[in-house]
Amino acid sequence: MTVSGAIQASEPNPQRGRTISQLLIAVPILLVALCFAGKYGIVDLGPAARGTLIFALLFALMVTGMPVSIALGLSVLTFLFTLTQVPIEAVALKLFTGIENFEIMAIPFFILAGNFLTHGGVARRMITFATAMVGHWYGGLALAGVVACALFAAVSGSSPATVVAIGSILMPAMVRHGFPNRFGAGVITTSGSLGILIPPSIPMVIYAVATNSSVGKLFIAGIVPGLMLATLLGLTTWRIARKNDYPRLPKASWSARFKAFLDAFWGLLLIVIVIGGIYGGIFTPTEAAAMSAVYAFVIAVFVYRDLSLREVPGVLLASANLSAMLLYIITNAVLFSFLMTHENIPQALANWLTGQGLGWVGFLLIVNLLLLLAGNVMEPSSIIVIMAPILFPVAMKLGIDPIHFGILITVNMEVGLCHPPVGLNLYVASGIAKMGITELTIAVWPWLLTMLCFLVVVTYVPQISLWLPKLLGMM
Amino acid sequence: MVVRILNRLEEVLIAALMAAATIIIFLAIIQRYATGVPALYAYARTWDFTWAQELCIYMFVWMAKFGAAYGVRTGIHVGVDVFINMLGVEQRRKVILFGLLCGALFTGVVGSLGAYLVWHIGGIGQVSQDLEVPMWIVYLCVPLGSYLMCFRFLQVAWAYAKTGELPAHDHAAVKGLEAESKAATIPT
Repeated sequence: MTVSGAIQASEPNPQRGRTISQLLIAVPILLVALCFAGKYGIVDLGPAARGTLIFALLFALMVTGMPVSIALGLSVLTFLFTLTQVPIEAVALKLFTGIENFEIMAIPFFILAGNFLTHGGVARRMITFATAMVGHWYGGLALAGVVACALFAAVSGSSPATVVAIGSILMPAMVRHGFPNRFGAGVITTSGSLGILIPPSIPMVIYAVATNSSVGKLFIAGIVPGLMLATLLGLTTWRIARKNDYPRLPKASWSARFKAFLDAFWGLLLIVIVIGGIYGGIFTPTEAAAMSAVYAFVIAVFVYRDLSLREVPGVLLASANLSAMLLYIITNAVLFSFLMTHENIPQALANWLTGQGLGWVGFLLIVNLLLLLAGNVMEPSSIIVIMAPILFPVAMKLGIDPIHFGILITVNMEVGLCHPPVGLNLYVASGIAKMGITELTIAVWPWLLTMLCFLVVVTYVPQISLWLPKLLGMM
Repeated sequence: MVVRILNRLEEVLIAALMAAATIIIFLAIIQRYATGVPALYAYARTWDFTWAQELCIYMFVWMAKFGAAYGVRTGIHVGVDVFINMLGVEQRRKVILFGLLCGALFTGVVGSLGAYLVWHIGGIGQVSQDLEVPMWIVYLCVPLGSYLMCFRFLQVAWAYAKTGELPAHDHAAVKGLEAESKAATIPT
């Protein structure tokens, strides 16, 4: 049950934080008691107090470190039972019907496809290809790292797995070539997060489901920002490398490049199948996901031969495990957003915010700060599934495009994966680079700054996200 | 022994559901395009895949319910652990146990609600749209999965109280990196 994966060293004082732990347990119990007090008319709760109570309870339960899904479910259950007239049996039905939606089923399929290709062999092919293409420029291997991360992350769908796969192959090689350890760690940590912007992307599917937007449009909209961010991270790398005169590789011959391309081609074709299939109207997004899962299986087992048939059940089980976890959070988040709507909270929030004279500029600033803050303690899927249904109605009221809103949230999630004190990529990279979090924080700084600037640009220039879908006549 | 069989059953069930759903949707797509090819039309039109989508959804909901229980055992359900990581070992243990028991409480309550739902729907005799299976069978995954999850929470809490060890899932596991040293891919 960890987000950060923080490793606890031998504890000097096992009783440290006695007061805090008592508070962590007592506060949720007190809040539940307050709900019951409201039920029996001991205290009178107005609409504002009710709204605050839901969030207070959710927050109090979440900080105890229990699974986010359980915290969501328990707060909804308590609230529905004590303070509403909603029949409590409806909860059980909602737990089923909440995910009874074919769009959501793209998530397990994409996870399966990604898991088939999350393999050292695929990472190595991507690295070889990237090195052959950009290795002779300033920053050589590091630049190749950015490209390889972008490709591998798009195919595997997991940011931390990308950091591990590309990092554990490329980082030692970079050190051997005379790059400082910090430089390599900085590049890989930040580039590893590129995957959630380049389709297929699971956080985007979750956003689409939570807000009833189109998965296809989001995927297409993610391409331009994804390529731009990859270019910007590459430029940052190139500039630092040129300034410090880091080693370059000899230029690869065209035949070597072609060979490397052919080798990586089968993996990359997955992205093409998904985007082309959805855009061409050949598949629905869920069908495209199922196709990519079958395709990834064929490639991993019969073409690349990274996996033997005997390993397939293990991949299936691991994918089912991860999918079930996400689907479980989504089910409980559906309950939560049902409660939100029942209490009219998104509407009230929208009215209040517009009443304050807050325009879309100010709203998006607040959204970004809020999400960055949430990114400190939660992983992207949980944040999107909780926050999107609350923020989305406000965004609509302010005339923000739903697709643009989804893309800016996704970029924000990428930043959240890499920024201190708690970013999943940061923790994973610190393990591979054998570097403390503090040192790594300094190491990622130039790239993180680039990402933050890019976040501002994406937030306030909707054309970046909307240009391609509009050009293709999708909207 | 019983627990071992249960573990195995759980694993086989969710992995099989995952595979089956993928194959069914794949075949349904193939069938749809095969009916577009004149030479195959005669064969393809005799297959009926209108139920595929519904079956896939039900399979994945079942997988989600039982997979969530399996997830408790593998420690994949993530939470906000920043605050409890600041605590000393003894104090952290209390808070984590509280969290696990809350998990057992929630899943136990939901399981009972689900059982009530199944009972209630069984009386009505409602059937699903395409497959025409009785809905109470379809909804059975809510009580079964939730009770199993409740059992897993209690199991993990018990083991944690006794040994102080929690299952932890490695979110960054990548296979095939062992051969890293002989990586001839990067020219030196």
